[in-house]
Amino acid sequence: MGAVIQFENVSFAYDKVPVVRDITLDIHDGEFLGIIGPNAGGKSTLLKLMLGLLKPGKGHIHVLGKSPEAGRSRVGYVPQHESFLRDFPISVTETVLMGRLGNTRWFGGYQQRDMEITLKTMEDVEIGAIGKQPIGALSGGQLQRVLIARALVSEPDILLLDEPTSNIDMRVEEDIYTLLKKYNEHMTIIVVSHDIAFISAYVDRVACLNQTLVCHATEEISGEKIEELYGAPVRMIQHVH
Amino acid sequence: MIDFFFALLDYKFLQNAVIACLLASVGCGIMGSYVVVKRIGFLAGGIAHTVLAGMGIAYFLDASPVLGAVITALIAGACIGWINLHWKQNEDILIAAFWSVGMAVGILFITRTPGYSVDLMSYLFGNILLVSSGDIVLMTVLDFVIVVTVILFYKQFLAATFDEEFARLRGINIEGFYILLMCLVALTVVLLIQIVGLILVIALLTLPAASAAQVAGSVSRMMVVSVLLSIFVTVGGLAISYGPDLPAGATIVITAGIVYAFSVMGTRLIRYRQNLGNSD
Repeated sequence: MGAVIQFENVSFAYDKVPVVRDITLDIHDGEFLGIIGPNAGGKSTLLKLMLGLLKPGKGHIHVLGKSPEAGRSRVGYVPQHESFLRDFPISVTETVLMGRLGNTRWFGGYQQRDMEITLKTMEDVEIGAIGKQPIGALSGGQLQRVLIARALVSEPDILLLDEPTSNIDMRVEEDIYTLLKKYNEHMTIIVVSHDIAFISAYVDRVACLNQTLVCHATEEISGEKIEELYGAPVRMIQHVH
Repeated sequence: MIDFFFALLDYKFLQNAVIACLLASVGCGIMGSYVVVKRIGFLAGGIAHTVLAGMGIAYFLDASPVLGAVITALIAGACIGWINLHWKQNEDILIAAFWSVGMAVGILFITRTPGYSVDLMSYLFGNILLVSSGDIVLMTVLDFVIVVTVILFYKQFLAATFDEEFARLRGINIEGFYILLMCLVALTVVLLIQIVGLILVIALLTLPAASAAQVAGSVSRMMVVSVLLSIFVTVGGLAISYGPDLPAGATIVITAGIVYAFSVMGTRLIRYRQNLGNSD
């Protein structure tokens, strides 16, 4: 399995305040990677660096062997905070179709193929029935599925999700991770979360980030590592793999 | 009102005025929808008032003021779009500067032009009853440019106004499309100056589209409803103003304001009654 995303000694600072330092990380093809760590630990920054929305101060990033700007057309992104207004007059289907930009023709409307992929993906993520609804009328879980569908219709090789379950309840959270696990069969998935206990049941590997990479746990995350990560003892929640 | 319809059959200037209302409504409904969903009413106002500079200079040079308006509007649209993208922290001050300095330049040139300065008032408040056949040709061309561009790039404009970051990740040139959008808003401003004058342009760019937003579930439907409402308020306002000889531009804007107030109150009332129904 080759590396689809490579970080080589990457550092990034906002106005001289370091956010991530000296990150070296290979993310492998087909992997389900969880990036965990405390708030302001640089998790979202790491995703933005992968997408080329931020440029590293030091080091190099390769996405599918290219620069992040060139590689990102093959990357689907599900943002953490809605970068749009909820009262915007747009339907679920129109929002999901937007993921086809970059794959579809330049002039005029979307093509039949775009519509087919969009409707199929909406069925797969179980939002087929709400296609005509305005996005303002959706619940948190439904909206998250819409954003996942929008990222999926670009037929990406890699899917990045930033805190995909931060505003939704536990039951829906499980559904969403089960859905992601299914998509992981044919694409690399990278998910940022602060919920260590929950995601380790689904991911193949965890990268713990608090400015630097503290651990690359594959199996167990020890109490000391968590302490190192959060800077204070954290009560571990037991769960079964 | 009845006098208006009889007069419409007889007088060429009234027929021209109604045609101008219809043409302006097309651009106004389409671009007004973008102005409302992107919340750039203040930017559109900046463009409108800057246009007086171009009209004043053209008037002074004895060139066509409308041509001056088109050129200045495009320059102002591109500059204000650029400020919005790159100079966000000083945006309000810079746009206020465009707004006021543009008007000041216009006033200076107009007052320095030999002869009567009656045209100043018609630029500021519109001269719908003086719309010429030449103006109508120009308005048709502007509408054509707006409609064709929006049809070609509807999906890019929708993505750029809805979710800029996502559109950028999907390979859309946000800067380019945003400045193109601002230039189209600028052309719409020129269309509307013919009808209500540059001071009242903001009203027509925002009120019909904002009324349409109360009922429309998509931007394209909002455009259609907004064009129809624009036709209603411009032709309706013109008809109301004709009998008592009221200023047409002001009457049109007040009509648009009343329609907006009713649309907001109407949708609130419907929602309130639905909520009452649900709680039973």
